[in-house]
Amino acid sequence: MAITHRARSGDAVGGSKHQRESLWTDAWRRLVRNRAAVIGMSIIVILVLTAILAPQIAPQGFADQAREDHDKVPEWATQLFPTMAGYARISDKYLLGADYAGRDLFSRMVYGTRISLAVAFVGPLISLLIGVTYGSISGFLGGQVDELMMRFVDVMYAFPGLLLIILLMFFFRSTFSNAEPGTLGYALNAMDARFGGMLFIFIGIGFTAWDGMARLTRAQVLSVREKEFIEAARTVGASDVRIMFRHILPNIVGPLVVTETLSIPGYISTEAFLSFIGLGVNPPTPSWGSMISDGAQALRSYPNQAIFPALALAITMFAFNFLGDGLRDAFDPRLRGTQ
Amino acid sequence: MTHKTWMAVSLLVIVSLILAACQPQTIEKPVVQTVVVTAPPQVKTETKEVVVTATPKPADKVKVLRLNAGEGDIPTIDPALAVDVASVQIIDETTVGFVRQNETTGNIEKAMATSWNISPDGLVYTFHLRTDVPWVKYDAKTKQVVKIKDGDGKDRTVTAKDFEYGILRTLDKKTASEYAYVLTDVISNAAQFNSGEITDTAKVGVKAIDDATLRITFNEPVAYNLNIAGLWVAHAQPSWLIEEKKDRWTETGNQQSYGPFTLKEWIHDSSLTLVKNPFWPADIPNIPQSKIDEVTFAMLAATPAFSEFEAGNLDVAGIPLSDVDRVKADPKLSKQVENVPTMGTEFYTFNVKKAPLDDVRVRRALSYAIDRKSVIDNIVKGQGEPARWFCRPGVAACPTPDKYPNLGIKYDPAKAKSELDAYLKEKNLTADKLDLTLTYNTTEGNKKIAEAIVAMWKEVLGLNAKMTNMEWKTYLAQWTSDPNMQIMRGTWVQDYQDANNFDKVFSTGGAYADITRWSDPKYDEMCAKAAKEQDPARRIELYSQADQYLVVDQAVIAPLYWYSGLVIYQPYVKHTQSITGYDWFEKWDLAN
Repeated sequence: MAITHRARSGDAVGGSKHQRESLWTDAWRRLVRNRAAVIGMSIIVILVLTAILAPQIAPQGFADQAREDHDKVPEWATQLFPTMAGYARISDKYLLGADYAGRDLFSRMVYGTRISLAVAFVGPLISLLIGVTYGSISGFLGGQVDELMMRFVDVMYAFPGLLLIILLMFFFRSTFSNAEPGTLGYALNAMDARFGGMLFIFIGIGFTAWDGMARLTRAQVLSVREKEFIEAARTVGASDVRIMFRHILPNIVGPLVVTETLSIPGYISTEAFLSFIGLGVNPPTPSWGSMISDGAQALRSYPNQAIFPALALAITMFAFNFLGDGLRDAFDPRLRGTQ
Repeated sequence: MTHKTWMAVSLLVIVSLILAACQPQTIEKPVVQTVVVTAPPQVKTETKEVVVTATPKPADKVKVLRLNAGEGDIPTIDPALAVDVASVQIIDETTVGFVRQNETTGNIEKAMATSWNISPDGLVYTFHLRTDVPWVKYDAKTKQVVKIKDGDGKDRTVTAKDFEYGILRTLDKKTASEYAYVLTDVISNAAQFNSGEITDTAKVGVKAIDDATLRITFNEPVAYNLNIAGLWVAHAQPSWLIEEKKDRWTETGNQQSYGPFTLKEWIHDSSLTLVKNPFWPADIPNIPQSKIDEVTFAMLAATPAFSEFEAGNLDVAGIPLSDVDRVKADPKLSKQVENVPTMGTEFYTFNVKKAPLDDVRVRRALSYAIDRKSVIDNIVKGQGEPARWFCRPGVAACPTPDKYPNLGIKYDPAKAKSELDAYLKEKNLTADKLDLTLTYNTTEGNKKIAEAIVAMWKEVLGLNAKMTNMEWKTYLAQWTSDPNMQIMRGTWVQDYQDANNFDKVFSTGGAYADITRWSDPKYDEMCAKAAKEQDPARRIELYSQADQYLVVDQAVIAPLYWYSGLVIYQPYVKHTQSITGYDWFEKWDLAN
C-alpha cells in the first residue's frame, strides 16, 4: 500500500503532483533505463565537450604544418598495422599519427568534431523550423491549401536528396565565389568563408531535409486536430495561433523529436560525404569526411590516416542512432506501463 | 474492375515479366566475342572493364600496353587545337611531322621528310616528303585498320598538300587555335594571316610545290625553325574528313591518321585506345613499326591507378605521393621504379591585372615565401629539383644552377615579409584582409602542394589564401577566360629542346599571355635578342637575363620545381626512357 500511494518522492499523499507528472519526466525515466541510449547520450556529451573545448584538448592547431614530420606514426600503430613497419617513421609527438603535411591527426579529428556536431544540431534545427512550420500550417488549414502544399512536398520528395545537395553545393561554390564585392552573393561567400565553408552546407541541408519533417508534422497535426480538447479550446474562444502553439504543438513534439534524432546520422554522413568529394568544408578546416578522403589516398601505405577519422564518424553515428532508438522507445505511448 | 478481372490482369503482368526475363541471351554473344579478342566492351564503364582485355589471351596473343593518362578526359586529339601533353602524346603517335624529336636525347630526327634543303639565307626550307604513307582508319566492323580510299578508289597517301592544309588550318582565325602562336612567331606572314590582316593563303610562307615537296619560308634564320616545323601543329591533317565531319572528325569511328598508331576507340572520361597501324612504313629508322598491338589509356587519378598497377591491371603508373615511402622500402617494387627527369617546370602564375596581384611587391612576396625544398622533400617526396627560374636546365641555351648560383629566386622569408609590408603600409591594409585565391587543376599532388604552399603563405606572411580546383579540361578553358582568377598553377613541358620554347611562353602573344595578362615590350625585346644570338655562351647569358626579369624583377610567376618524377613499370615492359615528356610506344615491347 505504501508503494501505490507514495508513487513519487516528495509527493503529498493523493498528490496533485502525481497528475503533473509530465510526458518529459516520464520519457526521461524510461530513457535512462535503456542502456544503449545512455551509452549514446554519454558519447554525445563527450563529443559536445570535445567540440567546445577543442583548443584545450587538441595538442596542436588543425592547420599547423610540420612538413618534415609528414606521415609519421606512433609506435603502437606499427603493431596495429604491421604492413607499415618497414617504412613508417616513428614519432611519439603525434597521438594518432601525422598526415601528409605533418598535421596532427588527433588535433584535426578534435576540431572535426565541431563540424560534425554543428551539422548534427543545426541541420535538424533548420529542418524542424522549415518542416514543422510548413507541415503544421498545411495540416491545420486543411482543404485546398493543404492539398497544394503537400503536392509541393511530394515534388520535393521526388528529388534524390544527395544529388540535389551536390548540385546545390556546386552551384553555391561556383556562382558565389566569383561574385562582385557588394552583391548578396559576395556577402554570402564571405560569411561562408568565415564559417570555414559551413554556411553553404547548412543551406544545402536545409533545402533538402525539410520535406520528411513537413509530412510527419502534417500527419500529426491532422490526427490531433479533431480531438475533443481542441474543440473545447475553440469553444472557449482560443485563437488559431494559440491553439497551434499551446495545444497542438506540445502534443506532437514527441514523434518529431524522435524522427529528427534518428535522421541526425543522415546529416552527419551527408556532410562527411560532401567533404569527401570535395564539396564540403574548405581546406584546411578539417572535417572527418575530408580527412577520410585524404586518408583514402594513403590507405595502402598509412591506413591510420583514414581509419581513425572513419571510426570517429562511425561511433558518432552509432551514438545518435542509439539515442534516437531510446527516445522512440521512451516516447511511445504503447510501451507505457509495460516496463 | 471486378476481382476476377483484377486477378487476370495481374497474372498477365507477372507472366509477361517472367517471359521477358527468359529471353535467350542472343544479344550477349557479340559482346562476349569482342571481350575475348581485344576490344573493351562498348559501354561507359570504369577502368575495371578495360582490364578484361589483358586476361587469358587466345592463341595469337594480342599485345596490349595498358597506361594511365591521368585524371580527367584528354582534352582533344585534333592537332590544330591541342595545347597540353596528354593530347599531344596521342596526336604525336597518330600523326607524324617532317621531323620528330628523339625522346631519349631531345634531338631532331628525320620522320616524314626524307631530306630538306635550306636556302643560303637560312629562311627557306624545302622539305622532300615520303610518298608511301597511307591514310588509315580503324574499322570497327571488320576489327582491322584499313586504308582510306579517295573518290576514285585509289589509296590516299599523305602529301605535301595535306601538310599545307594542316598548317593553314592551325593558322586560320576560324580554328581559333591557342597554339598557333608557335607558328605565327616564325613563319613568314603567318601572324598576319592568323590575325585576319591578310586572307590570301597564297601569301603565307607555306606552299606545297607538288605532292612530295613542301616549301616553308621563315622569318629568321634560327636553328629551331626545324624543330617548330616538326611540331604537332604542323602535321598533315585530312582535309576531306574535316570538311565532312567538322569538329567530330576525331571521334571514334571517324578519325583518320597515318602514324604508327591510329585511334581505335575513345570513350570520353573513361578510356582511349590506340591500335597499331600495320601500313606504317617499316624503313623509317627511328619510328619503327610497333611491336605492340594496342595501347590503352585509362583516365584515373594517381591512387586508383597505382592500385590497378599493383593488382596487375596497368603496365606503367606514377606513384601516388602517399605510397612513395612504401614503394621505396618494398624489395620488389623498388626495383621497378625509375626516376625520370622531364624537361619542364612547375610553377604558380599570377594574373597581373587582378588586385592585389597587380602590384609586383605582392607577387614577389608570394614567391619569396615558398620554401621549395620543403615542398619537394616532404610533399612531393623528392620528385623534382627546386626551380629558381623558369627555363629548365638541360635544355639548350638554358642557364644551369652551377654556372649561375645567384640567378633567380630563392626561399627568403625576410625579403618576402619586407616586400609585403611595403605594399600593406602604402595601401593601409593588413595581410589577413587580402583576398587571395589559388586555383589548380584537380590532381592529388596539386592539392597537397597547394595546401602546403598556402600554409607557408600563412606562416610567413600571415595571408589567408583560399583554394579552388577543377578538372584539367575545364581548367584549360577557364584560366584564359575568367578574369577573376588570381594565382594559378602552371606547367610547361618542352616542345623542343631550346630555351626559346620556354621563355617565349610569357612574351606578348605567347602560350601564357592570356593567362598572366602580362605584356611587356622589354621582355619581348630580351627574348627576341636571345633568339637571334648566334654565340652559344652569349645566348645563355641573354636568356638568364630574361629569366631574371621574368621571375624576380617582375615576378610574373613563382617557379616551384623542375620536373623529375618517379614512374613504376611492370618487369615485362621493355621501354625507353624519355626526357622530353613524350613516349614513343612503337619502340616499346611487352615481354610476357
